[in-house]
Amino acid sequence: MTSDTPASDDHAALIQAIAQRRDRRAFAALFRFFAPRVKAWMLRGGASPVTAEELAQETMLTVWQKAALFDPARAGASTWIFTIARNQRIDSLRRERHPATLLPDPAEEPEGPVQADRVMAMAEQESRIRAAMADLPAEQADVIRKAFFEDKVHAEIEKELGIPLGTVKSRLRLAMNRLRAALGDVT
Amino acid sequence: MIAHHPSETTLLAYAAGTLPEALAIVAATHIGGCHLCRHRLEALEAVGGVLLDSLPPAALSDDALDRLLARADEAAPAPPPVLNAGLPPPLDRVPLGRWWPIGLGARWRPLQAEGAAWGGLVLVQPGRALPRHGHDGLELTCVLKGAFSDGSGRYGPGDLSEPQDDHDLPPVAELGEPCLCVIASEGMRLRGLLGWGQRMIGL
Repeated sequence: MTSDTPASDDHAALIQAIAQRRDRRAFAALFRFFAPRVKAWMLRGGASPVTAEELAQETMLTVWQKAALFDPARAGASTWIFTIARNQRIDSLRRERHPATLLPDPAEEPEGPVQADRVMAMAEQESRIRAAMADLPAEQADVIRKAFFEDKVHAEIEKELGIPLGTVKSRLRLAMNRLRAALGDVT
Repeated sequence: MIAHHPSETTLLAYAAGTLPEALAIVAATHIGGCHLCRHRLEALEAVGGVLLDSLPPAALSDDALDRLLARADEAAPAPPPVLNAGLPPPLDRVPLGRWWPIGLGARWRPLQAEGAAWGGLVLVQPGRALPRHGHDGLELTCVLKGAFSDGSGRYGPGDLSEPQDDHDLPPVAELGEPCLCVIASEGMRLRGLLGWGQRMIGL
């Protein structure tokens, strides 16, 4: 498998193979795709190369340990791993380390009532978002990327892009409206 | 019925993990009881997943995978213990200080959080005003019990208040039962009595 082709369905199947039979080859394939990307994210957030690699390792270890909690009906593979990496990062920023994050892990939340009109395979959600992201005007994609991956508070994005804070916020809002529209969300 | 929700930018910062911890705890308290925001959050997290996919990979050391597989039998760490059984998650696991009286009919209980925001529980007797304050930065309030009203509306259990400007009208607890809220704020000090209480306990 090439490590550069996002294939959400394959990734979900790999996580399930880990859950069902502790499949180390499936884990190795998942590791080759995600670990370098999680490390890249941590580097962008300002982590040192050593810390970034440690956080990528801890993220992938959690993927291995919690694979049974992955539910493809609730989140796509990339989304699930993103939330694990995010929680690892939050934990690492705490002065006093807790054994696990205090913020709710979406994978562990009890199932709420499912609204029939909202049911959509989560891998499908990821692919719609991927298409919508590709269609976003560059300036909107830029503020979203910065908000997610460079740990920039809005005021810093303002400084860096040389645009007023109100513009940062309205670009974010516009971008989110488009992404929501792509998901067929009427809220 | 929940009527007041966090703004898009606040929810985005929560999804990205960049909201300071105290504010994230208040946002999580609301999201835990709000199906609408849980769906909004899931969509934002999916954006994070798609962006993660698209990042140019950063190489790991050659033995990274082997070192990890050597740890394959480690158990996942246990979640933090429940410290406050009467409170909704994630507040039930957040370390809290003691209650402090902060003037007439109001009490304050700080929560322990890292980062550039502070927060705590505030309990206000019916008909009493919540402390007046200004907003230099983001401030979030989630109602746990009872209700309060300010110039912008009525806030009941589960509702989240995210004021955009200084409120002129102080929030007032409704008659009936006392109003219990969790509040977090960044970069500002409360004015008036709660500000006095803050200074007394060295926050």
